[in-house]
Parts: sequence; C-alpha cells; structure tokens
Amino acid sequence: MKGEFKLKASNRILALALFTYAGTSFGATPTTQELQQQIEELKSGVESLQQQVRAGKTAAPVAAATPDAAVTREDLDGLRSALENYKYDVQRLRDTKSPTTTRGTTISGTVQVRANSTTVPVTTGAATTQATPRYTSFDVPLANIAFAGNLFKDYGEGHNLDYKVGFGYAKAAATTTAAAATSVFNLQDAYVQYNLINPAVTGLEDPNLNLRLGQQVTAFGLEAQTTDELKPSINAAQFVAGLGVGTRQIGLILRGDYNPYVDYGFNYRAPLFEYAVGVVNGSGPNQSDNNSKKDYLARLAVTAPVDYTSWLRELKFGVSYQHGKKNILTGTSTTAVDGNSDRYGFDIYYNHLPFGGTYEYATGRDATFVANPSLAASASNIATTNTGNTGTIKSVGQTLTLFYTWGEQWLKSSNGNGVGKYDDWWPKTYQPFVRFDRWDPNTANTAATGANVSAKIDISTVGFNLFFAETTKFQINVNSYRYHNPVTPKNREVIAQFQFGF
Amino acid sequence: MKSKVNKLSWLFGALTLFQLIPLAAHAEEKPQEIRIGVSSAGAGGRPLAGGFPLATAHLHAVLEEEFKKDGIKIKWFFNMGAGPATNEQFANKLIDFGFHGDLPLIVGRSTGLKHKIIIGQGRFGEVTFVVPANSEAKTLADLKGKKIGVFKGTSGQLVLARLLERNGFTERDFKVVSLDTATIKASLATGDIDGAIVAPYDLVARGVAKVLLKIPRDPKLQGIVTLWVGEEFEKKYPDTVQRVVTTLVKEAQWDSEEKNRTELLQLWARQATDTYLDYVESWKSYKLKERNTPLLDEYYVSRLQSAVDETKHFKLIRHDVSLDGWIEPKYLNTALKELKLEHYWDEYDKDGNIKK
Repeated sequence: MKGEFKLKASNRILALALFTYAGTSFGATPTTQELQQQIEELKSGVESLQQQVRAGKTAAPVAAATPDAAVTREDLDGLRSALENYKYDVQRLRDTKSPTTTRGTTISGTVQVRANSTTVPVTTGAATTQATPRYTSFDVPLANIAFAGNLFKDYGEGHNLDYKVGFGYAKAAATTTAAAATSVFNLQDAYVQYNLINPAVTGLEDPNLNLRLGQQVTAFGLEAQTTDELKPSINAAQFVAGLGVGTRQIGLILRGDYNPYVDYGFNYRAPLFEYAVGVVNGSGPNQSDNNSKKDYLARLAVTAPVDYTSWLRELKFGVSYQHGKKNILTGTSTTAVDGNSDRYGFDIYYNHLPFGGTYEYATGRDATFVANPSLAASASNIATTNTGNTGTIKSVGQTLTLFYTWGEQWLKSSNGNGVGKYDDWWPKTYQPFVRFDRWDPNTANTAATGANVSAKIDISTVGFNLFFAETTKFQINVNSYRYHNPVTPKNREVIAQFQFGF
Repeated sequence: MKSKVNKLSWLFGALTLFQLIPLAAHAEEKPQEIRIGVSSAGAGGRPLAGGFPLATAHLHAVLEEEFKKDGIKIKWFFNMGAGPATNEQFANKLIDFGFHGDLPLIVGRSTGLKHKIIIGQGRFGEVTFVVPANSEAKTLADLKGKKIGVFKGTSGQLVLARLLERNGFTERDFKVVSLDTATIKASLATGDIDGAIVAPYDLVARGVAKVLLKIPRDPKLQGIVTLWVGEEFEKKYPDTVQRVVTTLVKEAQWDSEEKNRTELLQLWARQATDTYLDYVESWKSYKLKERNTPLLDEYYVSRLQSAVDETKHFKLIRHDVSLDGWIEPKYLNTALKELKLEHYWDEYDKDGNIKK
C-alpha cells in the first residue's frame, strides 16, 4: 500500500513537471539543444519512477517476513517438515514401544512395604514352628493392580458404562515347617457400572445415580469402603475384619445421592442424602452363593448442607444395614442350617482442614446353635452340635480417629492437580493422628476368668503420616493392645510403612 | 571515676535503647513471602496467565524485582480451577492476594471471606457466542434445549446469564454444563456442546467453529476484574501492600502504552489457551488504556454493585453482600500520586462513558 501511495504521489509530481515544461514551452520557443536536454531530463525522471515502482513491488515480501505478517515459504516448509517428523515419531513409538488397549484404560495399583516390631513374639505369616521367637519382621502386606475404564463413553449425558478389574497379592498359607514362601494372586474387584445420572458431566447440581454389578466392596460404614490411600492408620479397625464388612461380595448395588448443596464459589458439592441399596450373595469373593438366600444391604448418609466456609462443612452422619443369611455349622460338620447374620452401623465423619475425625459404631448379630435358648449365646452356651435351638452372638466394635492435617494434599485448588506447574510437584502434607479401637466379638462373654472370659480388645494408636508425592506416603504407628482377658498380657507394636501407588 | 563513667555509659545506653523501642515497635514487620492466587492458568496447566496487568507483572517479574532486596519471595498460584480455586486457597489461608472476576469474588465475599479490593485489573471487552462450524443455529433461540458450555463459578457464568436474559432466556431454557475454557474450545471443535461464550478466532481460523453472536462493546455485559488483599495481611503489612500496588500501577501503565501492544499480546499468548490471534482480534477495537486501567472509579463501583445485584437475582448467592468497607482505594491513590499518574487513565461513569 505504501509503495502504491508513493507511486501515485510521484505521478502527481510527474504531471506537475510535465505541466511546468509544457508551460515553459508555451512561453518561449526553445532551441533544439534545450529540447534535447528537456527530453533527457524527462527520460531520467521516468526511469526514476519506474525504479520506485519496482522497489515498491519487491518491498512487499520483505514486509511479509516480519513477525506480525505472513510466514515465508522457508518457514512453512520447516514447519511441515517438523510436523512430518513428529507424526512419524509418534506412530513409530506407538507401534513399537507403547502398550495399547481396545478401550481407554487406567492402570493403577498400591504397594506397601513394612517393618514392624512387637513386644510379644509373633508366629503368624511365617512357619508356625520357629526355633526362636520372632519380634521383628519386614513384610509386604499389600500389593495390588487394577484396570479401569469405559466400555462406552457418553459425552453428552455421561451415561457411561464403566468397568474395573483388580487383582491383589496374598501370602499362601504357612505350614509347620515352611514359611509362606509362595503367594497367590486373587481377583478382587470385577464389575461393570452403568451411570444413570452423572453429575461429573451434566453439572454438580444434578444428583448421582449408578448401578454396579459384579464383585465389589459393599456399602457399609466408612472404613470398610475407604481405600488404603486415604486411611490414616495402617491397620484397619478391628470390626471390619470381625464383622466381615470389608469383604468383597458378588451382587448388584445401586448407589446415588440426592439434593446436592453446591457452593460454586468454591466448586464444593455436598449431597444432602447419599444412599446405597443392594443384593449380594453374602458368601464373599470368588465363589457362588453358598445358600438359597441372598443378603440385602442399605446405607443412608446425610451431609450438612452448608457453604464451604462453614465450620459444619463435611459433617456427615451415616447409618448402614446388612441383612444376611449364613450357614450355621455344627462344628466341622457339613450339615448346616440357615441362620441370620445381620450388621448394623452408625458413623460420623468430619473433615474441615486442618481438623478431622471419624467415629464408627458397628454391631453384628450372628445365629448359632446354643444349648439353652433362654440364655445369652456366651461361649459356654454355644453348642457344637445341632441342638435345634439357636441363639444370637452379639458383637460390637467402635472406632474413634482424630487427626490434624497441615499441607494441601486434599485441597483441589492447591495440590499438584489444581495449581499450574511445569514440574512434577506435589505439596508435602503432615498428619498426626490418634485412634481408639475396641472390638468385642461376643458381648455375652463378660467374665473375668473361665469359659466366658471376655475376648474384648482395645487398641490405642498414635501415628503420623507424611505424604510427599501424589500417591506416596510414609506412615508410622505405635499400637498399644489391651486385652480384657487378664491372661493375655498387654503388648505394644511399632509399624513403619512406606506405601506407594501408581 | 572509672566506675562512674561506666555507670553513666550504662545509663546513656539504656536511655538510648529505651528511646529506640517505640521506633522499633512502629517499624513494619515484613512478610517472608507474598502469596498471590491467580484465577487462571495456561494450557495444560502451565503456570502462566494473560489478558490483564497482573499476568504481565508475573511475566516481567516486577514484583520479584521490587522485593528482592528485602529477601521477600513472591509465590504464585496459577489455578486451573479458576476463581473457585482461589477462594478455596484463601479460605484455607494459603494466599495473601487474589485475582478474581466478579462472580467468584462476590460469592467468596458472601460466604464470609475477608478481603479488601485494592486495584482494578481490567474491564470491557467483546462478547462472542460461538457454535460448532456445522451448527444450523442462526440465533440463540435456535439453541433452546441444547447444551451450552460455561465454566460455572467464574465470571463467565454471569456474562452468560446477562446475555441470556437480554435475549429473553434463562439458563433453564438450555442445558448448561460446566467446563473449563480449554475443554469448551475442544468440545466446540468436536461438537460435544452446541455453543459457548469464548474467544473464537483460533477456532474459526481452524474451521471448527463459527460466531453466532458478537457484541464488540457493551460496558454492561462484561464484568470488572479485581485484585484484593486479605484483611489480615493488609492490617499487618500495609507498607508491603502499598509497594505491591505501586508496582502493579507501574505495570498497568506499561500495559496501557500502545507502543507495547504487539509485545504485550505476544507475552499474554504464551499461556496458549487464547492464541495471539485471539488477543489481536478481540483487543483491536479497544485502546489498551481503556481495558488495562487500574482505577476503582465510578464505573468500577457501579459494575461491582450491579454484579452483586445480578448474582442475587440469578440465585447464585444465598447471602447479601455489601460494598461498605470492601473497597480500599488508598493504596491506589497513593500509587497514582507517587507515580504522577493521577490523570493518566480516564475515569468512567456508571454507564461506561468517559467522565467529562
């Protein structure tokens, strides 16, 4: 444009010059020599203008090469070449170096490596006959791997069909002479899940509803459902194993929530009601149902509908119920009859950084043959034969855990997933905690000595967790055991554990 | 004699120290670090931002330079969760200063966050409603019942609500889903959403989207952008707050000079969510001075009050918010005076016109 403008201006000058020459020529008659000179001057003027035109034409590509204009041919060729190289490299790496799956899959796993020391000798987990008592050991208590993903992904409404399959390592049973030198690899989770309503896609204010079919953790209480990544203590509460509520079951469970309180100022979502109802075999993982009856389970939790900044944030109360049928065995006989095996639970959860705490109360009712049905099912009344009379063993567990956390591990805004960083950054987080855990496998056994001596156990724990990478933590727990059976001495153990996930 | 001299020396020393005590008590304690939450992050979580003077201050490292001599570190948090994430950080005492669009600023205040607004960080700007390239929609009405993407909890939600209301609609007339800006652009390209307010130019250049509606200038559609300081920090370190504001006013001046336009937009484009082309096109109808003003003038106050009213009207907050005692202009006024920039930026009236 600039070149054209100059040319036009030059044209005007040329016209003016010609006009001037014309004017002068009308004024007086020039000589041949003067005319010749004027022609020469005009010629040189025209040549000069032609040069300017040529310069104007060639100036455009130079301007185009500046950063805020079009790229040059060389730039384009270079970019094209770089893209071709990149495409080739990606394709070659994908073909030769990358694992692929038929569907989008996430591989995850958790490994624990542990050292422990106790004040009483231990024999479990190794040869049952030992020359000298064992007070310390290194262990790998947990190693599992899982694959999860979508069999169908619905971008529009989030009606995804998801799957998960996971395997976990377990030690093989020890013998009298040989340590548990071998291990087995058990199927843990194996389910498909259909999302009927998916607030992750449709919006936080929508409820959540999904149906899960297969082998899965059931919906009882807090600790039984919590993964090892989130548990503050190394050992689970005693009632989890005692009542079997942490055992995976095969069946169908509907989970959802209703009326979520959403504080968009913080992207905080607190569903007023969370619920789960389901039907399962009740016989545990990796086996068919072991009787003609199914187990039924239900859970309801209520979360305080408050703003993120409220002190009541993440205050949740929950109740759980499982109604099951079990085989009542007559000693080791294969003869059995059906009996009830019910579980009831109540829990409180509070987590308002830096303070947090959980309390769980869980109780079981398990049918058993008894000699005298009018008496409680104490140890002396429990029969090892089919007496035709059944009683109920009542078991109770309670766990209170209080923790104080400083660090941003669980803050969405401030951990490595929420804050923009160039490197693999994760905030260090520190969490001291205390726990009191009581388990009474049979509340009818209350005697100080004898057959009905109490089997109640109290475990007090002081612990510390250090989270120093996204999926990695170091834990140290000091557990003090107190047995209500006076014959069993108190003991103490120290466990240090390194847990990493991937 | 010697003992008398000694005693006098002690007395003199003690008196001197006694006199110094009040001075020491008045000298401001300095923070070890200044923590700034930015409700924005670059593509793929890059710790970069663009589009406002605070982003340039980070890129130019002017605050780092200002506080280097005192050994005070500047700690930046570029939040992929945008405004709500900045609120979460402040609620958990992780930041001292915060950069916010109007909606998260107001929602945070409504739930009890204690901060003082100290400097403006931007205003105006075009609003462009974009649909996938193959969309048959000609007007917003054609999108009724369809899926619209917006980053909920951010100022974009309020802009969308205003735009819809002006056209006789509410969010309930559409299926509004919450997506971050990068995902909105990707979803428009794949057709997973039917429309969104977003910078369109790179999408249009790629042929994957088209502009359904463009409003180049409407002072009552876009919100104001703000930098605040936590009340606790402000009370404890007023001198530090003043130095932060003065440094940012200097930066805002650099950002307002037209001779810096190309360099400024290239710097901002480094965050890569919006491209250089997006910045060039969407800023071309504005003077830099208009948008990068730090002033807390009549327009700023009026827009903030309107945003509070609208937020209540659209039921995005549950509690009332008052502007009383929230805006603290003294740091800005001191900075403008100190830098002799009192008349550098135009003041705007409540309607977005330059005050005569």
